[in-house]
Amino acid sequence: MSLIINGAEYELASPPLTSLLNVLREEVGLLSPKAGCQQGGCGTCTVLIDGEPRRACLTPLGAIEGAAITTVEGLGDPRNLSPVQAAFHEHYAAQCGFCTPGMMMAATGLLARRPDATRDDVLEALAGHFCRCTGYVKIVDAVLSAAAGRVDTTRPEPEAEPGEPSVVIPGSPA
Amino acid sequence: MAKHRGRGFSAIEYPTGMNQGGDPSQAWIKMKPDGRVDVFAGTVDIGQGSKTVHTQIVADTLGVPYDWVTMDNSNTDSSPLCTGTFASRGTFIGGNAVAVAAERVRERLLEIAARELEIDPSDLEVSDGEVRAKGAPDRKLGVGDVAAAATWTHGELITGSGAWMKPYSAPDPDTGECDPHAAISYAACVADVEVDDETGEVRVLKLIQVYDVGHAINPTLVEGQIEGGAMMGLGLGLLEATYPYYPALDHRGDQFGSYLAPSTKDLPEFDNVILEYPSSEGPFGAKAIGEMANNAQPAAICSAIYDAVGVWVTECPATPERVLRALERRSEPRREGKRIVFDEDLSVRSVSATGGEGFLAVDG
Repeated sequence: MSLIINGAEYELASPPLTSLLNVLREEVGLLSPKAGCQQGGCGTCTVLIDGEPRRACLTPLGAIEGAAITTVEGLGDPRNLSPVQAAFHEHYAAQCGFCTPGMMMAATGLLARRPDATRDDVLEALAGHFCRCTGYVKIVDAVLSAAAGRVDTTRPEPEAEPGEPSVVIPGSPA
Repeated sequence: MAKHRGRGFSAIEYPTGMNQGGDPSQAWIKMKPDGRVDVFAGTVDIGQGSKTVHTQIVADTLGVPYDWVTMDNSNTDSSPLCTGTFASRGTFIGGNAVAVAAERVRERLLEIAARELEIDPSDLEVSDGEVRAKGAPDRKLGVGDVAAAATWTHGELITGSGAWMKPYSAPDPDTGECDPHAAISYAACVADVEVDDETGEVRVLKLIQVYDVGHAINPTLVEGQIEGGAMMGLGLGLLEATYPYYPALDHRGDQFGSYLAPSTKDLPEFDNVILEYPSSEGPFGAKAIGEMANNAQPAAICSAIYDAVGVWVTECPATPERVLRALERRSEPRREGKRIVFDEDLSVRSVSATGGEGFLAVDG
């Protein structure tokens, strides 16, 4: 079995009835899709399969031979966030963060399909994703601002490298 | 058969720093030789943002930029003890602990700076990462320089530890009088609902919520608590029930979906108001927000249901079944061979089995 995961091709050893969620987490080592209810109810395992948001926990590997999978790891990196990631960051749209990967993938799928998504579109697209911390308000705000292109995806300030203090140590012998 | 709108409100108070004699948080802070600050505290951030808030408290107390402060609460072995993240005590008790520790670090910092600048510590102040002489802002030294001097010149470590706990107040044996808690937050919630008297379904249209949190150290995070708590409260008011015959396991749901929780489709319009009447005990006057954020909504929703259809649902959640049963109890009892019909004003009309019609009662 093979899959294209975040742009790279993988040959997989998992049996065909293994759920995509287990393949991603256990075999490939991508931990952003979360194992929540594992019954298709909570939405936090959502990934994009050929661009469509799908529940990874309910998708057997055998059904998607050769498909292109996108997870949060494929959206952006800390210095170059995707619009949805940047919007979540800007709007404080995550609290505990467990639902966040699924929310982000559903939002990314929605905006790819409908770049000018309305509030009702967003409420509909996220209706199957449970969040118990935020009350959804800031998540919906974030997705709407990403839809309106009101986010800055660049992160100009690089983070300090470990072991290399950003402040020069005055007076030190080093 | 119609949809009825109603408005209800509730008001609550919520205590923090309770009088239980043994609810401490502790913190330890050290300064690196370059002025950056490491905070070790046991308070666990479960997403509510205590790490952010504690970082702000330490940065403000010490007078250094936010970015210089790192919270380490990675494990309970290396961090001092915190009783836990519960009872809305993270900002109030945990925040007080890091504030006390930061205050001591500040004293140590000024002590070292005093030696370097040859000025008495009481004549120094620290802000924006610089130690300055009061009234002579040109006499200054960067916090990083002071930390370096402590390390390389004086061979000392700038550090401080702190803890906070409400002192136990013994109740008077005759009157029960005592000092029960260190601070009280207040809140009020107005709920606008729509009740369908045919299906019993209730929708919350709008929640206006006012919270007195003493001082909102991070207003966006406070708003996150208000909104998140509101949706939990909406769930408690309308959807979320333990299974029937709890705690017996009969009829327990075995699917994720058999426990109903609010989704984006239940999202009402929100109007959040934060009031700031500071507490004398909390860090920078802060009180609590955490748990109280889901207390007011169920009562406000049930009052709004009464306003809409004139019946009290006295058990939460106000499920469609409970709303319909309340409406039925309000009407004349069902009689053999007769059908009871509710009209829009909830007056009651009976229709006999033979088709004849006669009013039993009109209940305004």
